[in-house]
Amino acid sequence: MSRSEAGKPGGGAAAAPASRRAEILSGLAAAVDAMDEGAAVRLAHEALAAGIDAYEAVTEGLSRGMAVVSEKYDKGIYFVPEILVCADAMYAAIDVLRPHLKAEGGRGRAAVVIGVIEGDVHDIGKNIVRLMLEAAGFAMHDLGNDVAVERFVEKAREVGGGIVAASTLMSTTMWNMERLVQALRDAGLREKFRVMVGGGPLSASFARRIGADAYGANAMEAVRLASAWEEART
Amino acid sequence: MSSEPAPKERIGAFLSGKPIDRVPCVPLILNHAARVLGVKVRQYATDGLVMGRANVAAWRRYGHDLITIFTDTAILAEALGTKLKYPEDDAARVDVPAVSAPADADRVPRVDARRAGRLPVYLEAVRHCVRDVGSEVFVACCYPAPFTVAATLRGTGQFARDLYKNPALAEALLEKCTVLVEDFADAVAEAGGIPALVDPVASGSVISRAAFERFALPGIRRGLARIKALGLPPILHICGRTSSIIDLMADSGAAVLSLDQIELAEAREKVGGRVCLMGNVRPAETLLNGTPDDVRREAAKCVADALGSPGGFILSSGCEVPLATQPENVLAMMEVARQSRLN
Repeated sequence: MSRSEAGKPGGGAAAAPASRRAEILSGLAAAVDAMDEGAAVRLAHEALAAGIDAYEAVTEGLSRGMAVVSEKYDKGIYFVPEILVCADAMYAAIDVLRPHLKAEGGRGRAAVVIGVIEGDVHDIGKNIVRLMLEAAGFAMHDLGNDVAVERFVEKAREVGGGIVAASTLMSTTMWNMERLVQALRDAGLREKFRVMVGGGPLSASFARRIGADAYGANAMEAVRLASAWEEART
Repeated sequence: MSSEPAPKERIGAFLSGKPIDRVPCVPLILNHAARVLGVKVRQYATDGLVMGRANVAAWRRYGHDLITIFTDTAILAEALGTKLKYPEDDAARVDVPAVSAPADADRVPRVDARRAGRLPVYLEAVRHCVRDVGSEVFVACCYPAPFTVAATLRGTGQFARDLYKNPALAEALLEKCTVLVEDFADAVAEAGGIPALVDPVASGSVISRAAFERFALPGIRRGLARIKALGLPPILHICGRTSSIIDLMADSGAAVLSLDQIELAEAREKVGGRVCLMGNVRPAETLLNGTPDDVRREAAKCVADALGSPGGFILSSGCEVPLATQPENVLAMMEVARQSRLN
């Protein structure tokens, strides 16, 4: 957390004691995990009042909570409704923190162009991945669902470099991802982007076969991959 | 093949507990039937006669033991007001859910299950198949159970949130959807078909056991009870993972459970004494992307795992046979069933 140490909030609230700060951060994580939107919002305000850096509130509070949620999802304790309601709690708190994040400037991690590949509208998994990557500090460009290959390429060209992440839940549409990788190549953008793919019918061997860089089995895996690429880059 | 009994005879005997010649085989030929006839899915999905002819053509080609009329899981929600979009050669999908705002719930009408939306397309397809080949094979019509209908009416993500944030709204929608599911069972039976329920959104891959028990199971029970009251075998298909809910599925009133991502050996151990198991050659990995030998290997493993299960076993695909599946792969699956003699 070198950034937050470098960027201590000046003026306004006096910094609260470390124990109080730790309590608020773990409270934020717990509120997300408990699907408690009200508590998440209240604690986001308390975090700001206690002089906690907004970025730290996200990374050390909310996204830790979301990591617990994701772990519970992987273990079959939480399912899609729980993930979405936990995410709502996280987003409600992020709304409180966001203006203060902006004041701190960009967070400097890579841009990610993400979407559900054309022909498919199943976007819950994609939304969870977007959320986790966003919480991990990546600059997300979410194109939504049923995204034409051309739109991915267009957005990638605009962004210039980083990561392209595509998902599908359907075996009938997964081959559009092969077209996506080819289209990035044709546009001369393939070298500027890492490509990760995910979704029900996919596999690591499928990712290799279509020329993607990696397959992410779940949101945690997507964050691990993106973070590893980020470290290799910087 | 000519020495074999007709599928109708086989399935009839099987469902009434009499001995049959071989393992019944019901690959879930759904939109793939459009490929067999050589028409685009949009045409198949919107024209009952085309859908019927496609399923007859597929049946003549493969000789499977049950015709399964189906194209998308949104058809009941569409009848209640959800707007769909129709890609030229893929299943229709949701464009605008009918109940985007909670207040829209009150405006969901009670509709005529014989007339609303595209429901007549399914009914005409059933009638055509029954007319054409109904003396030789039973015709099922697969359509979504109340939980999946309600999710498609509200938008799946929003409905998932409602389970926590507005359970009263979820339950009100479920009630309206259950009524349509019951009414449509009557309509399908009237057309000469066997109504069969599919509940993909209630999958153990999507919701918890607790949510399944509270929100999905009551509607499944009522739908299947109606089918049973019509004197027809209640069939329930849930794709994705079902390990966590299979005992509840077996208690839903279903006579046949069509299964996807669960080991048949596990299913047999847990519920094989109570229900007939149906499954579960993997649709994408094996039927679409595998060779006929891959299909034979996996189908043989399904048979080995489930044959002799006290409630019976039907060889099937875990979920829809993908559109672009090579016919050789479907035939390979049929071949394994034909070689799995029972008497």
